[in-house]
Amino acid sequence: MYIYIDGKKISAKDGESILEVANRNEIYIPTLCHHEALDDVGACRVCMVEITHKDWGGWRNLVTACLYPVEEGLVISTSSEAVRRSRGTTLDLLMARCPTSDVIRWMAEENGEISVRYEQIDDGSKCIMCSLCVRACERMGCNAIGTVGRGHDKKIAPPFFENPENCIGCGACAAICPTGHIEVNDTRTTREIWDKKFNFVACEGCGEPVLTEEYRDYAIANRDLPADYYTTCSACKKKKLASHFDKVGS
Amino acid sequence: MGIANRKELEARRKALHKANENVKTHVRVCSGTGCAALGAFEVYDALVKESKKAGLPVQVELEPCGKEKDPLFVSLTGCQGFCQIGPLVHILPDDILYTGVKVSAVKDIVEKTLAGGQVVEKLLYKNPEDKKRLKGRADIPFYKGQELVALEGCGSVAADSLDSYVASGGFSSLAKALKMDPDQVISEVEKSGLRGRGGGGFPTGRKWRSCVSAEGDERFVICNGDEGDPGAFMDCCIMEGDPYRVIEGMIICAHAVGSSTGFIYVRHEYPRAVERLSLAVKTCEENGLLGKKILGSDLDFDISVARGGGAFVCGESTALMRSIEGSVGEPRAKYVRSVQRGFRDKPTVLNNVETFACVPSIINEGSDWFTSRGTEKSPGTKAFCLVGKVVNTGLIEVPMGTSLRDVVFGMGGGIIDGRPFKAVQTGGPSGGCLGEDHLDLPVDFDALAKAGSMMGSGGMIVMDDRTCMVDVAKYFLKFLMEESCGKCVPCREGVYQLHAMLDKLSRGEGEPQDLEKIQRLGKEIQVSSLCGLGKSAPNPVLSTLKNFREEYEAHVNDKRCPAGVCRDITTFTIDPDKCTGCLVCKKACPPDAISGEKKQVHIIDQDKCTQCGACRLVCKFDAVVTN
Amino acid sequence: MNAAPAVDMKQVGAVLARFEKGERSHLVHLLQDLQSEIHYLPGEAIRAAAEYLDVPLNSAFSVATFYKAFSLVPRGETIVKVCLGTSCHIRGAPVVVEDLRIGLGVGPGETTPDMKYTVEVVNCVGACALAPVVIANTRYIADVKPGTIVKIIEEG
Repeated sequence: MYIYIDGKKISAKDGESILEVANRNEIYIPTLCHHEALDDVGACRVCMVEITHKDWGGWRNLVTACLYPVEEGLVISTSSEAVRRSRGTTLDLLMARCPTSDVIRWMAEENGEISVRYEQIDDGSKCIMCSLCVRACERMGCNAIGTVGRGHDKKIAPPFFENPENCIGCGACAAICPTGHIEVNDTRTTREIWDKKFNFVACEGCGEPVLTEEYRDYAIANRDLPADYYTTCSACKKKKLASHFDKVGS
Repeated sequence: MGIANRKELEARRKALHKANENVKTHVRVCSGTGCAALGAFEVYDALVKESKKAGLPVQVELEPCGKEKDPLFVSLTGCQGFCQIGPLVHILPDDILYTGVKVSAVKDIVEKTLAGGQVVEKLLYKNPEDKKRLKGRADIPFYKGQELVALEGCGSVAADSLDSYVASGGFSSLAKALKMDPDQVISEVEKSGLRGRGGGGFPTGRKWRSCVSAEGDERFVICNGDEGDPGAFMDCCIMEGDPYRVIEGMIICAHAVGSSTGFIYVRHEYPRAVERLSLAVKTCEENGLLGKKILGSDLDFDISVARGGGAFVCGESTALMRSIEGSVGEPRAKYVRSVQRGFRDKPTVLNNVETFACVPSIINEGSDWFTSRGTEKSPGTKAFCLVGKVVNTGLIEVPMGTSLRDVVFGMGGGIIDGRPFKAVQTGGPSGGCLGEDHLDLPVDFDALAKAGSMMGSGGMIVMDDRTCMVDVAKYFLKFLMEESCGKCVPCREGVYQLHAMLDKLSRGEGEPQDLEKIQRLGKEIQVSSLCGLGKSAPNPVLSTLKNFREEYEAHVNDKRCPAGVCRDITTFTIDPDKCTGCLVCKKACPPDAISGEKKQVHIIDQDKCTQCGACRLVCKFDAVVTN
Repeated sequence: MNAAPAVDMKQVGAVLARFEKGERSHLVHLLQDLQSEIHYLPGEAIRAAAEYLDVPLNSAFSVATFYKAFSLVPRGETIVKVCLGTSCHIRGAPVVVEDLRIGLGVGPGETTPDMKYTVEVVNCVGACALAPVVIANTRYIADVKPGTIVKIIEEG
């Protein structure tokens, strides 16, 4: 099927979202709660686009690109006046919530002039409740953190706000966080995240930290790779492989 | 004893009908939430006990082969509507409505009316206009102009009795529907023009048809009884008062769309509705009206009653389904509709209680009968809860198209204490406030939407000059701020900011540009939010801003709340010319800020006063004035 | 802060046994039954429920904190619910909250130090015609006049 994004005719497959098609064709649509490895939820509302269709009698609608499934002949605008207004309002609201976040500020400036200012909530938090961390943790199979409460007071936290039993210190939550809200303190031998302390497994080759002991145990139990796979860092793995090929070559 | 097929159903009905006909006097005690709160259950027990003591042939259940001659049938019914003056006892066939019945009055009712055939004057409704006592529902203005379809059995059938429902014609519609082709059933519902009574007004028949045409090996029927709009309790009354009608409507839907599993989702704040529905489901199962091969047909259908956990957002269909699945009630985007992919990702029909309650009558009487009332685009009737600052409060059902004036000043009897009317709020937190110039608006889905409000589930909250529109808008925003699921940014952060701006206004710190800012943010929240809750959240503030702008301006420009509600900019004083020194306000004042002796003018100590307005609320002489 | 009483795990087990093991969709229902039995949801009870229904603890905690019906802290003997539905709001419910705050010394969501009363506010209990309404445990108190509620509740 064919769809039209910002006037360009583009081929798309049934079941794809607007965002998938746009990304594949390198058309930029900003996002905060999307990650290709995770299911979309449509929470941040930043990827809003305007859609219409020649059969809709002029009717237009704002939808989230991450969730809206493409259909034949769909006409999409990624930066119409209505899109910019909606996106601008959403980013303004997020700037009020997380005034210290550079990502949000940058995205808001990118979208256009910031015209309205809202009451700032200055609690130092950069969390925008995109829930990427929760979804990543669930995808890892750990379920160590979740949403707590509802409404404006909703938070992301481990159950009972205690240090999370199930956390293996993989750091996926911090890595995926778009605003850098989740704190992770690494030393050469230890990691601290969600108030829980972990010891790193040192690389057998170079002694650099590879992953936490809990992560290693979890991976050995749940993945089909040999135990020694987890005791070497990726740089040493490459070196080892290279020397192996060198030997084979000579 | 089961009801295996249509024949047995008819036989049972005939026997019960005869039993019903033999009953000489029906005594119906209202056990709706209001009357129950005022002691209806105690009144019922006392009525049974006293009647027996007086040697009257009392029956508390319909007995097809009862021993008593000319029995007296005493039953507990659902809401009879006029909650304001409960507990209500309605006596038939003479149509005597006793109001405000206390246990102490029961003896009189038994001796004078039930045994003696006389009317107890002092228990009759007193018309506030001419102070005349009015005997029955036929005479009382509150009941005039009403037409009961969804509420047909509410207040007449015995709420927990399958027999009583069957005797009144119950399940005959199901029997008829089961003889019809599913497609025919859907066509009939389509032709009736029935639109979802939960608020959106989506055509029910069309919804059923799209569910049938959706791909799926399993289909679900869900009844939404999560009536979360504050100020609305129609569905509560139907679930408590006529649970079998809802079940019958659902079974008909199951037949139409080909479903074998249904759920009724009831909010936990309605414990009696949960109890009565659970009992009704169990009774239907025991009698073969739910389960395998219903009434001898090929239809298998089961219903589970699910309790809500106290979250307004679960009235939104996708959140409700997540809640039944045992999860957090966060809505999902409805780009793929739930009739196609709903509960457990299967095609699902979700209608609200009142919608299902309309279905049996439509099948029984035909779509023409239904479309003969109401307006062209909104046929039929609609139940409303008439509450707030209106003289007669309660539950009503009127044909669509009835004007707000008829409702508020006809059935409602006008404003309490003869104060000026200011607005009617409809549609709950998703709706808006309509003022004086909208009073002649015919109430239907489209007219309300056009006027900037919405039907919602049917709450009608009447407001007088002592209700502040800024405060009302702020109230709804606070409600929504707490009830938002917190998933999407425009709703979670936007409603918070709207509330912050209104709070600023109510403190007298608003600036002229704030009104513009409120309007702009409101409009963006409407288009950007994920679900219906967020999309409609700005409605109360936008509609009041449009219809009552001068009140907003008074808060901003004069730093004054004309209604005397917003505490930070209101001062209460006592008018010495009007104060009679009755001590009532002094006693009512929470912080003891009022001084003064009996028969002497009272004075409010401004340092102690918290501006709560209790004094003004209790003063009968209009002596408490605000700036 | 009052020390939470020890949780009777037998009581918890008895409630769990009413539900099908491993059936996740019973979570809301099960937590409700636990709450009505214990009057609040102690952490142990949430953990037991999660394990029994095979629900990850993070989801169970999300559910327990999402729905307003659940309380994670012990509550008083009498739960005084002030309805803040629209009708109650405009007919004086804020005054009722004020009365309770002054009379019992606690605001919404708080419990008296002697664990006798917990004051809560709820959004509409469906008795709008009798506004303002207060529910003390299961008892409905209709048309509450200013200055009267504390006495009515204390007299039982």
